[in-house]
Amino acid sequence: MIKLIQNEWMKIFRRTGTYVMIGLLLFILTVVGAFVKYQDSRGTIPDNSEWKRGLQVQNESFKKEMEDMGPAIPEAVKDSYERQIAINEYRLTNDLSPNEEYSVWGFISDGSQAIDFVGLFVIIIAGGIVASEFNWGTIKLLLIRPINRGRILASKYITVLLFGLFMLFILFAYSMLLGMILFGFPEQASPYLNYQDGVVTEQSMLLHLLINFGLKSVNMLMLATMAFMISSAFRNNSLAIGLSIFLMFMGGQITSLIAIKYEWAKYLLFANTDLLQYFDGTPMIEGMTLGFSIVMIIIYFVMFQAIAFYVFKKRDVAA
Amino acid sequence: MRGENTMDTLVEIQNVTKTIKGRTIIDSLSFNVNEGEVFGFLGPNGAGKTTTIRMIVGLIGITSGDIKILGHSIKTDFEQAIKHIGGIVENPEMYKFMSGYQNLIHYARMSQGVTKEKIKETVEFVGLTDRIHDKVKTYSLGMRQRLGLAQCLLHDPKILILDEPTNGLDPAGIREIRDHVRKLARERGMAVIVSSHLLAEMEMMCDRIGIIQQGKLIDVQHMTDFVQGKEKIYEIEVDEKERISEILSQMELPVQATENGIALPLTREKIPGIIKEIVSHDIQIYSVKEVNKTLEDRFLELTSKKEGLSHD
Repeated sequence: MIKLIQNEWMKIFRRTGTYVMIGLLLFILTVVGAFVKYQDSRGTIPDNSEWKRGLQVQNESFKKEMEDMGPAIPEAVKDSYERQIAINEYRLTNDLSPNEEYSVWGFISDGSQAIDFVGLFVIIIAGGIVASEFNWGTIKLLLIRPINRGRILASKYITVLLFGLFMLFILFAYSMLLGMILFGFPEQASPYLNYQDGVVTEQSMLLHLLINFGLKSVNMLMLATMAFMISSAFRNNSLAIGLSIFLMFMGGQITSLIAIKYEWAKYLLFANTDLLQYFDGTPMIEGMTLGFSIVMIIIYFVMFQAIAFYVFKKRDVAA
Repeated sequence: MRGENTMDTLVEIQNVTKTIKGRTIIDSLSFNVNEGEVFGFLGPNGAGKTTTIRMIVGLIGITSGDIKILGHSIKTDFEQAIKHIGGIVENPEMYKFMSGYQNLIHYARMSQGVTKEKIKETVEFVGLTDRIHDKVKTYSLGMRQRLGLAQCLLHDPKILILDEPTNGLDPAGIREIRDHVRKLARERGMAVIVSSHLLAEMEMMCDRIGIIQQGKLIDVQHMTDFVQGKEKIYEIEVDEKERISEILSQMELPVQATENGIALPLTREKIPGIIKEIVSHDIQIYSVKEVNKTLEDRFLELTSKKEGLSHD
């Protein structure tokens, strides 16, 4: 199995396209870094002495608003107010200033937007890894070896996952490196304040960012799995890549449009791939929970894999 | 079949049928291929050669019947069966963005126990040592074919399957492949299955030839019999074609009218008797000559005869 993965890895990294992808990723991060560094607003540190009063005023206005609106207040707004109030109070009692200098952490957080680009590249690889063998005709030589088709397909999927991890690692490591060079570490390490079920807890910034990366990658993982499925079931890389990229950019929007009118939207894949909604925001549709989304994701995942393997193992190779 | 029982049968095709969407592509095909033998698979385009070869290597499923490689079924015991096979199906497709050597490493990793020395030795055998580290996209078709051959010899298979191996090659390339094939069968005792629609090529390469048409195996013959047969065709130049045809038909001989007379298959010993018979009917004979039958004539004759039958 390891040898098969080695083979797939070799086929990815012997192509110039792969290096173009890595180069583009690094280039984008560098541009973002330069932009943030030289933009005017950065570096003006807000008045530190006034922050306590500011937070108190903010809390009062939130509370007043909630009282005014009474029971008419939407659940989502109420949640976000309560969350903000709790975090502000935590800051006041523990003397944690919200005024942070822009540092390496901020940059990594901004850089995590580029996960969409990583997703794009991983979809391209996933969409091509099976279909290209059909296009090149090399599938015939691949399948007349003493290895069953299931293992060949599994090695290809694992390679896609490893490639995704590799790209995420490059993204994280490079934005950390660039962030350190351009912005440095903050003078005092300020923790990330996590709010859940009415309780505020402190979390190390690094851990918070890693979790953030992981959660944001779920979408990428599912789209890559879908591209992989289309690639092996229809042997068409343009279809696999095109459809997956379209859904990557439009899937969320389409789902929220449907969600306005219909409740069944919660069973759609893209209502569930954004797990961050359960930590930092409110779910797209009321009544959705983290557990529900995880189950939905697993169902979709198993479905994609089942189709991919079933079709790939059954199919006559006449190309 | 004559004396082949002493040799080992490596490939057994047993009553294989392939149906795709209700259409029978291959119809109850059966034949065996033995150790050290080059078996030619001959037929017009679309007759089912490639389909059969794809079934032998397990690329496509078998609707009914079975294919056994050294006794292992390709259907139920794929890994055990396929490890004895090396093959090129249609063109020798390689990863063009990698070097020849990297391609071989790739395939070596997929079989057990292929060493670096074995790769080196195989590259030498096919004569690619000078160019093996160049990218495949810079190779000529002949070199790709050689790399394809190297790829299927890496794991020392007992059976070699080459689908249209000389397609698009120049005469020198064709000759090279032919020499390799004969050498592998003679020296390593491999069973080689070669498909082609080119007759002359088959004639020079194979020991035995199976002719396939419309998915049916219509004839399997030894190369020497195939071209000449035991009987030869003689053309007898006469004026009175119809009378002579009548006389010879009564003797139950298959007579065909030609431009100058008649033609019929005969063994050498029968010629004087036939001449005597014709002369006794007072028919003038101007000449009797042997007609050399080429493989092409024989092939066309066989395929058209069967076609004629199927239309009846």
